Amino acid sequence: MSLGLPAVVRKWTTDPDKPLQQGAYASPLRDERLAAWLGAALGGLFSVCFVTGLYSHLQQNPQGWLPIPARPAGLYRLSQGIHVAAGIASVPVLIAKLWLVWPRFVAFPPVKGVSHLVERVGLFPLVAGGVFMTFSGVANIAQWYPWRFSFTASHFWMAWVTMGAIVAHVGAKWAFARQSLARPSRRPALAEADPVLGTVAEPEANNGLSRRGFLGTVAAASGVLTVTTVGQTFPPLRSLAVLAPRDPGVGPQGYPVNRGAANAGVLDLARSPGYRLVVEGRVSTPLALDLDQLLALPTTVGRLPISCVEGWSYSASWRGVAVRDLLAVAGAEPDRTVLLESLEPQGAYRTSTLNPGQAADRHTLLATHLDGQPLDIEHGFPCRLIAPNRAGVLQTKWVAKVTVL
Amino acid sequence: MSLPTRTGDDQPASGPEDRHQFETAAKGGAGFWLSAAAGWAVIAVGLRGILQNSIDTRPGNLARFVVGGALLHDLVVAPLVIVAAVVVGRAVPGRARAVVQGALVVSAVVALFSYPLVRAYGLAANNPTSLPHDYATNLLVVLGVVWATAAALVVVRLQRSPR
Repeated sequence: MSLGLPAVVRKWTTDPDKPLQQGAYASPLRDERLAAWLGAALGGLFSVCFVTGLYSHLQQNPQGWLPIPARPAGLYRLSQGIHVAAGIASVPVLIAKLWLVWPRFVAFPPVKGVSHLVERVGLFPLVAGGVFMTFSGVANIAQWYPWRFSFTASHFWMAWVTMGAIVAHVGAKWAFARQSLARPSRRPALAEADPVLGTVAEPEANNGLSRRGFLGTVAAASGVLTVTTVGQTFPPLRSLAVLAPRDPGVGPQGYPVNRGAANAGVLDLARSPGYRLVVEGRVSTPLALDLDQLLALPTTVGRLPISCVEGWSYSASWRGVAVRDLLAVAGAEPDRTVLLESLEPQGAYRTSTLNPGQAADRHTLLATHLDGQPLDIEHGFPCRLIAPNRAGVLQTKWVAKVTVL
Repeated sequence: MSLPTRTGDDQPASGPEDRHQFETAAKGGAGFWLSAAAGWAVIAVGLRGILQNSIDTRPGNLARFVVGGALLHDLVVAPLVIVAAVVVGRAVPGRARAVVQGALVVSAVVALFSYPLVRAYGLAANNPTSLPHDYATNLLVVLGVVWATAAALVVVRLQRSPR
């Protein structure tokens, strides 16, 4: 840094070639080793979110070349539970990491050479992407929409921007972070070299959080957020989930819903005596079943989870006609793709598709009963789809039409 | 958390010269440029997706939140935290300082996470089962547990070194 700079610039900026602890930012916590640990944790958490997020995207945007298997039944519940939990746990880690490296934001001169320029430009999608992904995810599970864009589309495409920035950043920092992590922590070495100095340097001697204490604090913050939310999908911790946006035990028939009957505009349609479940398409006997005929069909009972994309889930006992049995009644060939349509007049999720493997599963049901009781209209009366390993938004409610493709 | 006093603990193990040489070598290397190329290719996939699906992603509105979030953090939140940390470093007695700092960090993060729940924005979605709890009360309970734990830790520390 040139000595000709005004004192105020020298005081509040940092030299990009020097360690993070400089001048006004002299906290002993601004340590390269700590930054590397936090970065590694964040990279791991974001990668887990990315992979589970891709799986959720694939559920909602089926690709013919990579069909979603019907089993294991709880796979989506596990993966989406992990997605939301890892995202929540990453919030304190991201904040800590950004705080720790913030002096680099006010580096002066801002750019030193071509590679430094490339690295710094890449920090924008890294920081902005990380902040956006966690903010938009947390807002979405709280059903807070202060924006006009589609959450799913924007969260998905911004995930690519953020992961790309992480790849570039890991490449830029890999060797340096490895060296920082390989270096033994400084404090014991200092105490060994000079016991007197080492004693003074003990953080317990009035100097605030130690580096280890700081990492512990970040872990504690992630832990508190996890313990107070993960019960929305992990039943043993349900009673502790006081900050979870849903309680898997609160709602009609004791279970929550994501789209109510009033919002869907089906209150009258579902209760109308004119309701018919229509089965058509590539069938030898098209059907139009009224409620009594629907209830007279042979039923199957299955214990299956509802797993919301927003991270809550519950498992329940469902009873209804298996789709494969319904198709047999209509004289359809097995191994067909099946399109389900809701009574819901509009909405992004008024239809969903079963691939042949899903349609043929013995537990892919058009459920009329939940835990032995007739289905509440909020849960999809007269009948709803419930199938294993399936995103909650694709468990179509108020089903009125089954088309064999 | 810039602390008012510095100790020998602050001194880096390796000198600035070593570090500079090291970082320069890492940045100039093939690994740097390969990962930069790969990373920017993935970023381009995301940007193309945003632009090609502009009906859903509303690039103008999205950019406001993406850029705004980064600027809000870097220009407002981070400086405020630094100032707050200096205040805490000076105001809180030495032996309680680390615990108070830790409890403040945990409290701030939990409060930040709970903000949309306490404000109950989700009720606007007219979902009968959304936000079933009294989140303001629950947040206070969680913060109470955090500070009770902090108080217990301070007591333990004082008993361990009664100076």
